[in-house]
Amino acid sequence: MDPSVTGIQEPFDLIRLSLSERVFVKLRGDRQLTGILHAYDGHMNLIMSDVEETIMIVDPEAATNGQGVVNIAKRKMEMLFVRGDGVILVSPPART
Amino acid sequence: MLIFSVFKTLTDQTVTVELKNDLSITGVLKSVDQFLNIRLDNIKVADEARHPHMMAVKNCFIRGSVVRYVQLPAEHVDTQLLEDATRRGTRKHCILARVT
Amino acid sequence: MLVILRDGRKLHGVLRSYDQFANLVLEDTVERIYHGNAFAESWRGLFLIRGENVVLLGEIDLDREDDVPLKQVDYNILIDYHKQEAESKKEREEAKSQILYEQKGFCKEGGEGDGY
Repeated sequence: MDPSVTGIQEPFDLIRLSLSERVFVKLRGDRQLTGILHAYDGHMNLIMSDVEETIMIVDPEAATNGQGVVNIAKRKMEMLFVRGDGVILVSPPART
Repeated sequence: MLIFSVFKTLTDQTVTVELKNDLSITGVLKSVDQFLNIRLDNIKVADEARHPHMMAVKNCFIRGSVVRYVQLPAEHVDTQLLEDATRRGTRKHCILARVT
Repeated sequence: MLVILRDGRKLHGVLRSYDQFANLVLEDTVERIYHGNAFAESWRGLFLIRGENVVLLGEIDLDREDDVPLKQVDYNILIDYHKQEAESKKEREEAKSQILYEQKGFCKEGGEGDGY
């Protein structure tokens, strides 16, 4: 697609087009978020609202055949600043 | 710079800072600098039993680089303004990139 | 002042100097270790701490310190418990990251990671 039509020329343009939309963010420390993106900067610091965080927690005691059990903890936060150094990826909402 | 400004507007508000070591501290945001180092007053640590060393601490300085999240008071954040400022900020940087 | 470092150490000392990077000079420093409801300290002396290793600087409230329901014990008694705790935590973390790496495609952070 012609970049002048989509307005996408660099990676950050993809995030810019996701402003005020719900995005998926994968983070270090076995975490992921979905929330509405309101601000970001060049460090990928983000400010999001209506955030749901998902944390992977392994229970080694409940290990079955050496695999361990992965539990998922979720929590919601109203307004959140996310420091950019923990961000692995930001994914825009699925377009229909 | 944008995010630094946001934090400046939130001084004297109560925020919750979550560190990368899972320590979660709620307190009044007293100051912030360009590295997003944060000073909190009147702090309260979540799950104090797991962090007994924090019991005698009332005010603290947190280095910006160890912060994972900061939970902000939603009623003091103008999301429309943020989005406009973010778009402006990136366009400025696009124009600069095209010139150079 | 209380200083928490990235490796989890807790230092108590008198803050003599600092700069924009949070490099610190700490005098008359003791290292404190905690286990359950006991703590112990060990003399360390004078430190210059590079800022990147600093997690948090806390001002000790002397009034509140008297109310802390912990008892001080001998360092040599507590250090073994403390080491044991750190060791088992490290093992748990390693097992956990291995499982998440295999099952869910999360990356292993290895080394110190963010385990401070």
